Formats: sequence, C-alpha cells, structure tokens
Amino acid sequence: MKSFKEDKIYWDSNRRENREGLKAWLNPSRYGWERISYWLQRLTGVFLLIYFVGHVIETSSLVDGKDAWNAMLELTQTTWGHLFLILVIGTSTFHSANGIRLLFTETGRGLGKPGRPDYPYSPVSLNYRQKSGIWIALILAATAMLYGANILFAGE
Amino acid sequence: MLMLKESQIMKIHYISGVAALFVVAVHILIRLPVVTGMPFSMSLEYENVVANYQNIAYAVLLESMLVLIAIHGFNGLRIILLEFRQNIVWENGVTVFTLVAMIALIAYGTRTILIANGLG
Repeated sequence: MKSFKEDKIYWDSNRRENREGLKAWLNPSRYGWERISYWLQRLTGVFLLIYFVGHVIETSSLVDGKDAWNAMLELTQTTWGHLFLILVIGTSTFHSANGIRLLFTETGRGLGKPGRPDYPYSPVSLNYRQKSGIWIALILAATAMLYGANILFAGE
Repeated sequence: MLMLKESQIMKIHYISGVAALFVVAVHILIRLPVVTGMPFSMSLEYENVVANYQNIAYAVLLESMLVLIAIHGFNGLRIILLEFRQNIVWENGVTVFTLVAMIALIAYGTRTILIANGLG
C-alpha cells in the first residue's frame, strides 16, 4: 500500500492543469443566463474590491485635516464622481442580491428535485427560480441606481 | 498551508458577505437626506464626518464593516485567482498575498478610524 506522501506525489504529478483560465471566463460561446450571472458576480466583486481599497485610502484624508478632506471632495463630488458612485451602487446591489441567490443555491434551496436525464437533458437545477433570481438582482440594481442618481444629482 | 478547510472558508465567506450587507446598509442610510434631514453633499462636510467618526457606535460599525468587507473581498479575490491556475506554489502564493493585503488594508483603515475618533 502506498504511503500518503507517495499518493500525494502520484496525484500531483498526474493532475491536469486548468489551461483555459481567464479565456474560459470570457468565452461567449457558452453563455446562458447562469453563466452571465457567474461572470457578473466575479466582475462586480473585483470592481467593488478595487473601489473598497480606494474608498479606504480616500477617506484617510480625514486625518490630515479639513483642507485635505475638501481637496478629496473636490475630486469625487463631481458629475463624473457621481456617475462612478451610481456604478458602485448598481454593482454592489447586483453583487448582494445575486450573492443571496447563490447562498440559497449552495444550500440546495430552489434547485428542484433530481430527475431522470431525459432528452433534451435540461438540468432541473437551472430552472425558473434560478433565472428569476438573476432577473430580480438585475432589476434591483437598476432601481438602486435610479434612486442613487436621484439623490446624488438632487443638489445640482 | 491553510489551517481551515475550504468548506469552512466558504462559510466564513457567506457569513461575512451577509453581515457586510447589513453594516453597509446602515453606513449608506446615515447619508440619506430622509435620515439626516440635510442634502447628501452637506452630510459629507468635514465637521459632519468627524462627528460621525467620534460617535463610538458608528466607529465600531465602521471597523466591523472594514473587517467584514476585507475578509469577504480578499477571499473572493483568492477564489477567483485559484480558478485561474492550480498548483501548490500558486495556491500558497495567492493565499499569502491575499492574507497580507487584507491585514494591511484593515490596519490602514483602523488607523484612520482611531485617529479620527480621537483615540489614536
């Protein structure tokens, strides 16, 4: 019987490399709503992480006094700054709502019962509940963006 | 390399995501004109923001938001980077990089909260 170390060396030397990487993400030939949602979840997640790092850095100007804070506001409280914030509102709303859908999916809720694989082999897990979850996330994001625009541009 | 199982990390990912949703909601609510009674741009004035930071409850909320989003965000980045490539060097490198970046960001954000609060 092989030892754990020998077993690990065997599997490490025989594992298949994931060669598609980013290309698999961006390949449009296999897109369904679920795939668009998968792609958007990651894209919005990376965008929000970059925004979050930037937000922590920009708000640190608070400790340098009023002038530094006002200089930062002059950069961000512009029409372009507001448009960027509206994008942040939309992406964060989509990421949250779709994330909750994924949470339900991961815990098996809304997936349906497994059935016999009959032609045309539509998986029961990719059902109307999942698709409507994606639509709800998109509609909520659009609504939040409209509300955010209303507040951000109210003073202009 | 990792002390935790991936299944445990995913639980932390989901819990931190849902918890962040609530604290971010409060963070946004306190800027809304219907709550503050003043326009959005006025709520961002230096005196108002400093007053917010000097409120202990709000400072705790900011710190928890910083920690939750940093954990959720950098673990999300780790998951994405692990999907690109799989080998021991890459996986350990990604884990160390995201952990260090997460700790650095939390430390930097905490410094702002402490100084603005008057504790630092």
